[in-house]
Amino acid sequence: MKGGIRLLKTKKAAVQLIFIAAGVGMLCYGVMRGEADSVLGKAIRLCLECVGIG
Amino acid sequence: MDKRENKKSQFLGHYRGLVQAGATLLTNVYLPNFLKGGIYQGKGKAVCVPGLNCYSCPAASGACPIGAFQSVVGSSKFSFSYYITGFLILMGVLLGRFICGFLCPFGWLQDLLNKIPCKKLSTKKLKPLTYVKYIVLALTVILLPALVVNDLGMGDPFFCKYICPQGVLEGAIPLAAVDVGIRAALGTLFTRKLIILIVVVVLSILFYRPFCKWICPLGAFYALMNKVSLLGIEVDGHKCISCGKCARVCKMDVDVTKSPNNGECIRCGKCVNACPTDAVSFRYGFGKEKEI
Amino acid sequence: MKMKMRAKKVFALAMAALMIFALAACGVKDDVSAGTSADDAKNLDDAVKIYKELMDEENKILSENQELWEKVFAAADKRDMTLQEDGKNYGDFLMDTIEAAKDSFSADELKTLKEGAKRISEIENELTKLEEEYPEVREKAIDSAMDASGDGSMSVPADSDNVDVSKAQKFPAFDGKDFDGNKVNSDKLFSKNKVTVVNFWFTTCKPCVEELKELEALNKELAKKGGQVVGVNAFTLDGDKQAIADAQDVLGKKGVTYKNIWFKSDSKAGEFTTGMYSFPTTYVVDQKGNIVGKPISGGITSDEQKKALNALIDQALESSK
Repeated sequence: MKGGIRLLKTKKAAVQLIFIAAGVGMLCYGVMRGEADSVLGKAIRLCLECVGIG
Repeated sequence: MDKRENKKSQFLGHYRGLVQAGATLLTNVYLPNFLKGGIYQGKGKAVCVPGLNCYSCPAASGACPIGAFQSVVGSSKFSFSYYITGFLILMGVLLGRFICGFLCPFGWLQDLLNKIPCKKLSTKKLKPLTYVKYIVLALTVILLPALVVNDLGMGDPFFCKYICPQGVLEGAIPLAAVDVGIRAALGTLFTRKLIILIVVVVLSILFYRPFCKWICPLGAFYALMNKVSLLGIEVDGHKCISCGKCARVCKMDVDVTKSPNNGECIRCGKCVNACPTDAVSFRYGFGKEKEI
Repeated sequence: MKMKMRAKKVFALAMAALMIFALAACGVKDDVSAGTSADDAKNLDDAVKIYKELMDEENKILSENQELWEKVFAAADKRDMTLQEDGKNYGDFLMDTIEAAKDSFSADELKTLKEGAKRISEIENELTKLEEEYPEVREKAIDSAMDASGDGSMSVPADSDNVDVSKAQKFPAFDGKDFDGNKVNSDKLFSKNKVTVVNFWFTTCKPCVEELKELEALNKELAKKGGQVVGVNAFTLDGDKQAIADAQDVLGKKGVTYKNIWFKSDSKAGEFTTGMYSFPTTYVVDQKGNIVGKPISGGITSDEQKKALNALIDQALESSK
């Protein structure tokens, strides 16, 4: 039983690590292909209709 | 050790209101813009804030992750956003729905509205509605903006445009208040969204956090991540006397003893403070093998 | 740059508030000012006050018969009279211009104008006297005048060759290029059209792109009336090649033939564009380069917005007659 819990817990840690790595990886890849600029462009210039002003 | 942990946990729960106010102020720090009109236009807007915080808010210091996701997905260049998905996964793993409970301005607003004294209604029987938010996320944030496009491959941010009440509250209303041109531009789209906002406000007085429970796509994403989040709540089985106080005090309809990592749990800490034996506490870290 | 603009806006707002107080406190000031002269000044503060009153009076003269004076300015432009050589009295300059163009005015109008020009000449003399005695008086008076005027209605001739008597706001000047690389100058552009519709957009803004076809149709319609539509894509400032290519791609697909232009982001019009936050926004500019009415925020595709735009266009055509 105890071994089972240990496995479960370490497995959870592994899953968490994978998610963190995936998160950081995707974030960096997104920035690299210019998504951050795209976000900036939209966040400082409001397309009025897009935010429900219309 | 456990006792100290729990004290910290209780401390967190007690000062939640302050944290919420602080987070709201930090993510909307350019307050003078409310008076002079206009929005912050600096580089900070390339970075997302964790909560639902419209980037058309005059004071907003960053971008709303849901708005940003749709704007990337809806542009003709991209049909998926790795940048925002990565950010959300990271936030989800690091904090999970703690963001809803402590950092989201719209969550705070609903908390405050619910403090207005009147007869409060339970949402326990409305549990199936909690699945609506996943549909909102899949449909209006991910699929429709990417798939319903014009001849140039540009899609509409469906959630921002047709649903989001936070956009009306933080964006449309303050902008229209100081800008004649924007006032003149208000039409049926705005009216419809204003009605949504009013409905959400009224419901928030009667129910606890109806928007978070049923509609919020950001909450839906963090709910999925709650299971793997480093921040969680744990119940010490040795101390628990099964009195059921934690479940009764929970406004998100979660029984923390049965499912401490429930997707609906916004980590508000009410159960932590309610537990008579200090069996419930926040935990932070990778899945460890000690304890239990 | 942006910070500066923001600071300016806060300043303007504060000034507007101050002005309300000022107006409430001393509503009778105008009646007193007529008799002020430089000799009344005993110290710098006095001088500043008098200087300001004189400037206000001059502005009042010019704005009371604004249309008439504008004819005078137009006459000066036509004759290519340079606005004042250094040191020449502005009132005398006006008088010369009126004299030169006296055929275009009725006797009554001439009388009003000449009286105005005479008084302005006197005022200018007083102002010069004050400036000789107190060199810093001009700057101080302008500063304090700005304190009082938030909405520009009491605007002060900051440079004597830039007297803005009308409440109209000039469209910020630019020297830009169209997407084919041809030079475009704001003065030349506006003056050759009876009306110019300037549409601000950016490439990833869906409603902006959706209204391009309507704007193209409008451009064709305006061509018959001596007008023109001009597009300004906020992404293409400073001639960013990639941004221009992207914009041209969209324009091509939407069948747009009207001119799209860019200018330097540190130009007046560039700052104007970067400070803009709501898109699409459409300005209507008359032949004199003045912005007509308030800009249209949001797409012009709805009936209401279209009506508003057409009203502005008619207004511009009217004022260009």
